[in-house]
Amino acid sequence: MAMTLSAIRSSPSRLPLYVAVQALVALACVFVLRLDLPRPPPAYRAAVAEVNEGGVWRPVAFPIDRKARSEDPPPVDYRIPFTLPGNAPEETWSVLIPRFSTGVQLFINGTLIEDTLRDPATSRPDRNVPVISLIPPALLVPGPNVLTVKLFVWGPVTGYVDSVYLGPDSRLRPSFDRRIALFETFPLLLISLQATLSLVFALIWVSRRQDAIYGLLAAAMGIGVVQNFIAMPAALPLHGFIAASVSIEGALMVMFTMRLVGLRSRPALWLVLAPGMLLLLMGLSGSRALLQRGYLLLGPTSVTLSVLAVSALLGWSAVRRRDQSSFLLGSVFTAVIVASLHDLLTVMDLVPGERLFVGRLSYSLVLVTIGIGLTWRFVHALNEADGFASKLVRQVREAEEKLRQSFVREEERARSEAMTAERTRLMRDLHDGLGGQLVSIVALAEQGQDRGAIGEAARAALKDLRLVIDAMEDIDGDLMLVLGSWRERISAQLRAHAISLRWEVLSPGGLPAISGLRPGHVIQIIRLLDEAVTNAIKHSGGRTISVSLDSLDDAEGRACGRITVSDDGCGLGEDDGGPVRRPGRGLANMKKRAELCGASLSLISDAAGTSVVLTLPAVLPDAP
Amino acid sequence: MGPLEETAEEISVLLVEDDAPTRRRIADALVQAGGFRVAEAGDLGQARGLLQSAKPHVLLTDLQLPDGNGLELIREVRQRSEATEIMVISILGDEQSVISAILLGANGYLLKDAFPPDIAHTVRELIRGHSPISASIARFIVRRTQAGTGAKPASDLNTAKLTPREIDILWGIAKGFSYADIASQLGISRQTVPGYIKNIYRKLDVNTRGEAVFEALQQGLIRL
Repeated sequence: MAMTLSAIRSSPSRLPLYVAVQALVALACVFVLRLDLPRPPPAYRAAVAEVNEGGVWRPVAFPIDRKARSEDPPPVDYRIPFTLPGNAPEETWSVLIPRFSTGVQLFINGTLIEDTLRDPATSRPDRNVPVISLIPPALLVPGPNVLTVKLFVWGPVTGYVDSVYLGPDSRLRPSFDRRIALFETFPLLLISLQATLSLVFALIWVSRRQDAIYGLLAAAMGIGVVQNFIAMPAALPLHGFIAASVSIEGALMVMFTMRLVGLRSRPALWLVLAPGMLLLLMGLSGSRALLQRGYLLLGPTSVTLSVLAVSALLGWSAVRRRDQSSFLLGSVFTAVIVASLHDLLTVMDLVPGERLFVGRLSYSLVLVTIGIGLTWRFVHALNEADGFASKLVRQVREAEEKLRQSFVREEERARSEAMTAERTRLMRDLHDGLGGQLVSIVALAEQGQDRGAIGEAARAALKDLRLVIDAMEDIDGDLMLVLGSWRERISAQLRAHAISLRWEVLSPGGLPAISGLRPGHVIQIIRLLDEAVTNAIKHSGGRTISVSLDSLDDAEGRACGRITVSDDGCGLGEDDGGPVRRPGRGLANMKKRAELCGASLSLISDAAGTSVVLTLPAVLPDAP
Repeated sequence: MGPLEETAEEISVLLVEDDAPTRRRIADALVQAGGFRVAEAGDLGQARGLLQSAKPHVLLTDLQLPDGNGLELIREVRQRSEATEIMVISILGDEQSVISAILLGANGYLLKDAFPPDIAHTVRELIRGHSPISASIARFIVRRTQAGTGAKPASDLNTAKLTPREIDILWGIAKGFSYADIASQLGISRQTVPGYIKNIYRKLDVNTRGEAVFEALQQGLIRL
């Protein structure tokens, strides 16, 4: 077939090719059917026989072909005389009838030695099974003996005996064995395969109802298997079933092929099943004559139509659709057509030679071919599904990767935004403190100011630098961690001014943590405290500055911190003779800083000193 | 303060600082306080030369020097002598420089802009066994004790040897509590607090690990 398939690919028009291939197939079939079947040596063939007609023995020639004269004809006796060789045979003799229909009983000298009616495998007219039987030596007498063949006929075919061989068993047995292999073992193998595939497709169909193609094929195969095992002669309904089965199988094949070549099935298509159903009913009606007439009318016609329809569909698909499997199947079907034609001609006695029925056999072959093809198709579909699944997995992975990348981009963007915001804040903080102080140093130096002022401005700049750096650290709302460093800075500053620092932590653990405290807040708070301390150093005239840290509950019962910076100086009063104080601008500045971090500021001043009280919030809003 | 300190002999100091005005400022602060004999070096080479002929009580060194890193000097001096007190001079007193120096054997740090009396006082305190520590350094160390094992990559700062009491003291310092407050809260004598701090420094000292640290130094990284 490989050669044919490669030819198909390169051919522009398919019809001539298809027809040519079918013709070749048909020729090949005819050639095969004309091959001689195994036979024993001609020497053992019985030459003459006599038929008993109404008590009178008249000679007949082989092959015997007897038409049934009535609906249920009685068996006919044939007598074949034979003589054993003079020297008594060492070997056991056998009788071999290579081909007969429909049933035979063999008698040697009037004693029954074989009855094919008891063997269901040989009881069907469409089987080509031979019969062989050992002749019990005790039955044989020296000299002339008589073999009697009682021929039973039923069904639509005529009685037939191809030839009779009598001889040593060892000479007859090999050809019998070969025929058995060909007409019994091989068909049994096919029918087993058919049964298996039928079951497999039925299972597939049960779990995949949308794939009717498997159901149809399972039904066709199943019916074929069942009818194969019905023994003959049988009850009339079973005859009906056998008659109907071919017709129904043909109809199912039409429906199957429609789907196989991808045509839409219509409800009217179920009508192709009608002839088969009618035959079934006829079988159930109880009238053998009706069934026989019905079968002759409907059976061959419907089967022929079905086969032609299938063949046409496959041919159309192979030519028009360029479907290779249709091409292959169509060729196999051509073989079935040839085989069926052969059978038809055989029934009509138009075929010379041995009477053989090969239609059923070739059909079984087709079913198995289709079964294998469909199994392959199913596996192919599974592979495609797998491929689809892995493609999906790959696509999902790609989508995930894209998502991850966009997430990374988003993260980078957020980080860069955060960095920009941080830079802006840092710039503002540096601008507020360090920048201004450095500019001030430049100005002081250019103006030739005294070193004290320059030093002081530079110290302030350094202090602010440290503050900005400190404030950047993550302190998780614990202002105490910043105040620790601040304490070090102001204690050095106060030491330089010979002012002592009293640091009091009034509540255990110091200030409560402030939720939402950010570097911007920290800077405002520390600058505010710095200003309070600087004011006290510069203006109060006091000797001690106290910083006390305390915790109290706010209106909502949350713990919040309070920082008090107080001095023991002269207070703010203008009329107490102390140094002139102008707290206005400084105070406003401090209030603004307090507001920026949600704190409240109050100032208490009397002759005993000044206290700046900063009450911190428990929670701060997000952005400073 | 100066007059109160009774010293049997002058304290010899080697001051290594490349910026001349700063160097002079610190040297002046010590000399004017009295009781100090100061040798000055502007870079590592000079410092090494001076160290060959003398063994000062105290080494004061900047880190960024024209011909190398002050950390190398700290390591060399500490390897040679356990007795020398070593202080790192820093502008900001930041963790990176101070703790790196402590890891290599420094006992303390000095801010470059400290007021002159404070400079002399800090050095004297060091001679008396009182190591200075800032809130931010304390905070850095205790933060590291909190970091779970494995959370950080291999660090040269090993805080595993610190006792709970030492960690409590560091917390107190980080939050600005005075030594007196810390002592009363922990039920110890105020006088013992500076000793604890010196002990903490010694525990962090990785000097004995020698070559690995030197390698890190060469590459300019001490992993904190």
